[in-house]
Amino acid sequence: MLYRFAPAAAAVLVAIVLPIAGTPYLIDVGTLVLVYVILGLGLNVVVGYAGLLDLGYAAFFAIGAYTTALLMVDYHWPFWVTLPVAALLTALSGIIIGTPTLRLRSDYLAIVTLGFGEIVRIAATNLTFTGGPEGVYGIPHPRIGMFVLRSPQAMYVLAMAFALLVLVGSYNLARSRLGRAWLAIREDEAAAQAAGIYPVYFKLMAYVLGAVFAGAAGSFFAVKLTAINPSSFTFIQSVTILMVIILGGMGSLPGVILGAAVIVMLPEALRAFDQVRMFAFGIGLIALMLIRPQGLWPSRIGQIERRVVAASAASIAAGTGADTVASTE
Amino acid sequence: MQIALQQLVNGLTVGAFYALIALGYTMVYGIIRLINFAHGDIYAVGAFLGLSVYGLLAFFRVGDPVLATLVALVVSMGCTGLLGVLLYRVAYRPLLRARLSILISAIGGSLTLEYGLFLVYSPSFLVYPHLFGRAGLTAGDIQISWLQILIFASSIVLMAALYLMVHRTKIGMAMRALAINQDAARLMGVDVSRVIALTFFLGSVLAAFAGVLTGLYYSQISFLMGFLIGLKAFTAAVLGGIGNIPGAVLGGFLLGILESLAAGYFSSRWKDVVAFAILIVILVVRPRGLLGERVVERM
Amino acid sequence: MRRVLGVLVTLMLLVPLTAPGAGAQGAPIRIGVPVPLSGGNAKMGDDIAKAATLAAEEANAKGGLLGRKVEIMSFDDACDAQQSVTAAHKLLDAGVVAVAGGYCSSAAIPASAVYHDAGVAFVADASSNPKLTDQGFENVFRVIGRDDQQGPYAAGFMMKTLKAKRIAIIHDNTLYAKGLADATNAALTGRAGVQVVFFDAVTPGEKDFSAVLTKVKSLKPDVTYYTGYYPEGGLIAKQFKDLGVSGKFMAGDANNDPTFVSEAGNASEGVFVTSTPLPQDQATAKAFIDRYKKRWNQDPGPYSALEYDAVNVVLNAIKQSGSADRAAIVKAIAATKMYRGATGAISFDKKGDRTSVLYITYIIKDGKFVPYGVS
Repeated sequence: MLYRFAPAAAAVLVAIVLPIAGTPYLIDVGTLVLVYVILGLGLNVVVGYAGLLDLGYAAFFAIGAYTTALLMVDYHWPFWVTLPVAALLTALSGIIIGTPTLRLRSDYLAIVTLGFGEIVRIAATNLTFTGGPEGVYGIPHPRIGMFVLRSPQAMYVLAMAFALLVLVGSYNLARSRLGRAWLAIREDEAAAQAAGIYPVYFKLMAYVLGAVFAGAAGSFFAVKLTAINPSSFTFIQSVTILMVIILGGMGSLPGVILGAAVIVMLPEALRAFDQVRMFAFGIGLIALMLIRPQGLWPSRIGQIERRVVAASAASIAAGTGADTVASTE
Repeated sequence: MQIALQQLVNGLTVGAFYALIALGYTMVYGIIRLINFAHGDIYAVGAFLGLSVYGLLAFFRVGDPVLATLVALVVSMGCTGLLGVLLYRVAYRPLLRARLSILISAIGGSLTLEYGLFLVYSPSFLVYPHLFGRAGLTAGDIQISWLQILIFASSIVLMAALYLMVHRTKIGMAMRALAINQDAARLMGVDVSRVIALTFFLGSVLAAFAGVLTGLYYSQISFLMGFLIGLKAFTAAVLGGIGNIPGAVLGGFLLGILESLAAGYFSSRWKDVVAFAILIVILVVRPRGLLGERVVERM
Repeated sequence: MRRVLGVLVTLMLLVPLTAPGAGAQGAPIRIGVPVPLSGGNAKMGDDIAKAATLAAEEANAKGGLLGRKVEIMSFDDACDAQQSVTAAHKLLDAGVVAVAGGYCSSAAIPASAVYHDAGVAFVADASSNPKLTDQGFENVFRVIGRDDQQGPYAAGFMMKTLKAKRIAIIHDNTLYAKGLADATNAALTGRAGVQVVFFDAVTPGEKDFSAVLTKVKSLKPDVTYYTGYYPEGGLIAKQFKDLGVSGKFMAGDANNDPTFVSEAGNASEGVFVTSTPLPQDQATAKAFIDRYKKRWNQDPGPYSALEYDAVNVVLNAIKQSGSADRAAIVKAIAATKMYRGATGAISFDKKGDRTSVLYITYIIKDGKFVPYGVS
């Protein structure tokens, strides 16, 4: 029992102690981890729950960030009022891109989403109302009454509030009717369809919910950085978010948190190595995947499934003796 | 009219590079369903190795540009091919059954190659020797250099050779068998791992060829040069129907021409939007790409 | 076993994160230098960091400042908004008393807000986008000129010296290049007899620009002005010649790099480049160049001298105010009057911009950047 709860307890402890005892830099890194936790949880709904590979997820992140930034700077809206608008717009864009494309095979969906991500980024760079390559500057800090959320601590607490909301939402989603439908579609689409589950509708729901999560992360990102520009929403950003959930373990909530921590903190920790930083990061990614192909903290359903697959693969491999297949523990 | 023809020439040149690289994506994807993120960087490695060979040859006073280019091509293609196999052995083979983890491993491979070049060579832009001038054909306002013709012709020859190999030889048959059903192929006595390794080798060889030609034609190379073109080439492969060799070639040339026309007649800064929008439309209308065959969904 | 191993590897990689930050009394005076050390601009960042180190080493050789050693802390901002903010916090944690550096405006602007909140002086060496100082932060300065100073200069040169009537402007949609292109365009519009016939952007990282240049060719421009960076600049200059586009080719100050010439080869002959004077064309910079070459065994980069000055402006401010207090340094830098740096005399106006920035035009002759009729 203790073994199972120790990591969770340690994580909670770190999360509480950090804003009190941490330096601004550590708190900032912590805040960034939380941003990726939100993004990871959102993408987890799309990829982990519904099994749709998305390579343009940063587009929704961008739409959320730009909505909040432009409404606050150009129209002087308070931060909180921009949130529902950002949610609405990201949901809408999720529907617009999702409706015609969700019938595609998952790999083709991947490239469609990649294209969509690039279109959004390039449009933000080229259009005038988004500020072109300069983006939007001077985004005000959010306020609660008279209190201005400005310090790294305040930003951290705000990010934590967002992350907890999204975490609870994800947890409940997985256990809802929706969650079970996603699982059924992901495991066997034909069987699910035969059982009366209309896949496109449920896929679209996953897509839209994932988009809304990313939109929320974007809204927060805008007020945290106070300046946003298109270079924060590249293909690399989409890939980074994908790395969060795969490293952590698909479909697993603690996995997403661990994955976010690794993706943000690993390059920071490697700063000491300066020139070889990104090289070491690349090697580290391969090494982590080789050691733990199922992610650092996989979901239990996934684990069982993988064991079955690995066992059958191993038996085939043993039959010919030509190939070796990595076995799980 | 002359402008349109010139834009066609421009598009075909870019398209030749897209096509050569797209082949690597499409072959690997066809066989192990992996989007090989590191493939663009393999192309970059090919370009850098070629530059090293030119440097060595200059040191040994081999002055003949044609001879030097042949040696650079052969050495770079060979070494890069082996590197592709090494990448497969180390980073991909243990993960063949883990569909998403292998993707992360590929991203790790991409970063490793990029920053390997960064460390071994240079963080800055390097320049190939200007061996072949801009001499060529001029028809009215249309300019075609001999180098462009060479690029176009040699890539067509290589692609045809690849097509013949896959469709007319025994090893090619093994590759196609693998693409259809790996387990069945294994049961039929196909040495799966070797065939996959060969696929990586061939894809990398073509990428290295494109890399050296890039250095010769555009003169400038850098450690990040593979990223953007890799993205485009992957798009081209999907456009043509991923897993399909003529499809990758068609997709590459089509994307090159599309971009060229979009930049020439619409706007350069919107050309990628045009290209991706057309891609999305094509996929919605023809979900398997232009030449893609019906493939059973498996995840 | 594998799980334990995986977690162990992760933990080991994370250990350096907890390394202790700022030291105690009598500790060295730390100057922060955020620069791109990864990504496509890594070379520029390296050149800048080396100049900063040189400045600090020279100060230490003279016995340091206020009896303390000067220490440069350079961190990678990767020219990325998010990473530059993290690097800024990291620098503040390390106890830097001022910051001198930066390269991309897109990274410098978000980071400047963090420095502003902390009351730390930020002297930019290479970020020329007007927005940086237009934000109204009293702690932000820059030793490089503004793009909206270079733009009108370039426009004037094209109209008066080159007598151009039809002008094409190409940028690369980065913050810097778009700013310079817009400023040039603004200075040209409405002038009698002058027409901007083309205004569009290319994508950085690509190599083939023949489609854009074919379109430019059909518009028969007298001058084509490229405002992006040298890696694409050299390629565009080459393809411009290859395609036989009419008129002169001209490029902005991010192109005065030898790589531009080696990329373009013969095609670089006769290309104009607007720029602040290169160090080697300034009498004041000669000593700096010699020392830089001796220390690093390589030529300084285009922004090395500016960074050297940026660091020295900070050190000078510390000396003048007799204090390494963050607020005192901001005040002392604002009061800088005619500081004699490697790039000439440095004073700042109310916004923190350098006063009296001189622009000249270079022409490439026999592969060298030669000043063309200083104006």
